[in-house]
Amino acid sequence: MSADAVLDRVLAIVASVAGPERTPETAGPDTLLGDDGYWLDSVDVLEVILACEQEFGAVFATDGALTPETVATPRRLADLIRSKTGA
Amino acid sequence: MTGGPARPEIYSRRAWLATRALDVLPWPWGERALSALFVAAALARPTRLRRALAWAGQQSGGAKGRWRLALSCSAEHGRSVARQALVGIRTPEDLRRLVAVEGAEHLEGRTGGAILLGFHTGPLGVPVALRAAGVHLTWMGGPRDAARWSAEAWRAQREIDASLEMARGAALSQPAESRGALLYQARRFLLDGGVVYVAAGGWGREAFVVQLPGGAARVRSGWFILRRGCGVPVLPVLARLSGQTLVITIHPPLPPPVPDAAADLEACRARIAPLLEDYLRRFPQQCFALMRRASLGRR
Repeated sequence: MSADAVLDRVLAIVASVAGPERTPETAGPDTLLGDDGYWLDSVDVLEVILACEQEFGAVFATDGALTPETVATPRRLADLIRSKTGA
Repeated sequence: MTGGPARPEIYSRRAWLATRALDVLPWPWGERALSALFVAAALARPTRLRRALAWAGQQSGGAKGRWRLALSCSAEHGRSVARQALVGIRTPEDLRRLVAVEGAEHLEGRTGGAILLGFHTGPLGVPVALRAAGVHLTWMGGPRDAARWSAEAWRAQREIDASLEMARGAALSQPAESRGALLYQARRFLLDGGVVYVAAGGWGREAFVVQLPGGAARVRSGWFILRRGCGVPVLPVLARLSGQTLVITIHPPLPPPVPDAAADLEACRARIAPLLEDYLRRFPQQCFALMRRASLGRR
């Protein structure tokens, strides 16, 4: 799977969780998941992470890789997924 | 107490300085002094006093006992802040002697993880006290609330949840990304068989409100999402100060999850609401958190 394909799927997951009302018109890979971006709350962020786990077969576990920084934007989350799956 | 740890955001500057200064006294003098200071502060601040009296007047004692209840509630608040800040409590063993746990048998015999669901109704510092009493749990909490926490004597207590390091920066003011990542970690802990202490009012969006005399207890959805995602039992936890002892009651688990989320939430609400109502009826003087949030406009 190409890097772009992973990112596109992450973007689709985030948009699905946020819904059209919260997805900004200018949303992109570097849009923040939380305030001033998609406005996801903590439960929404958990939902995104779990959906990515299911979509990509990546288990983030508790090894310290999953940090506020690595889930800050779709691009960073896609980078994390690629580092876990080798995609 | 050595060093100068940063002030946790839950404390006002004055309260933090008071806990630090009073810590030099042998237990329980610091607790008693802080208790008196909170009563004095309640009397000295008209808005706070009016709120306390308005709330107390709506409890079972009515208007007649409202002064006594408002002041005893303020006193308990001060004592509880001191206990949470471990004022005069030098070691985990000292704390253990001040804790009694009821209902620990509900945690025994389980084959997987479990959620201990705490409430912002009574005394503070319950997860640390539970740990000191031997309940092995991971706390989904904010920054540690005691300066003493960084001392060597508490190292073993600290290391229990070292792997939930992000918890230290995941207070309510932190971004959703931080708190979402922490919820994920808590989920992994639960799936691995761990016991996680979660504050009902601290995580996720509002799930339901329990209307109580003088105010309401707001219950958020973080614990509920974890329960449904992990299929683990949820055990409500309520605490009270009885004399010098912090009595922590672990209640029987909430009903097992059902497929329909709305019905599941309602089943949980139906179990939690009477617990909180009963707690407020029996221990109103412990409910300083409810008193502080009371609205002046509601009589």
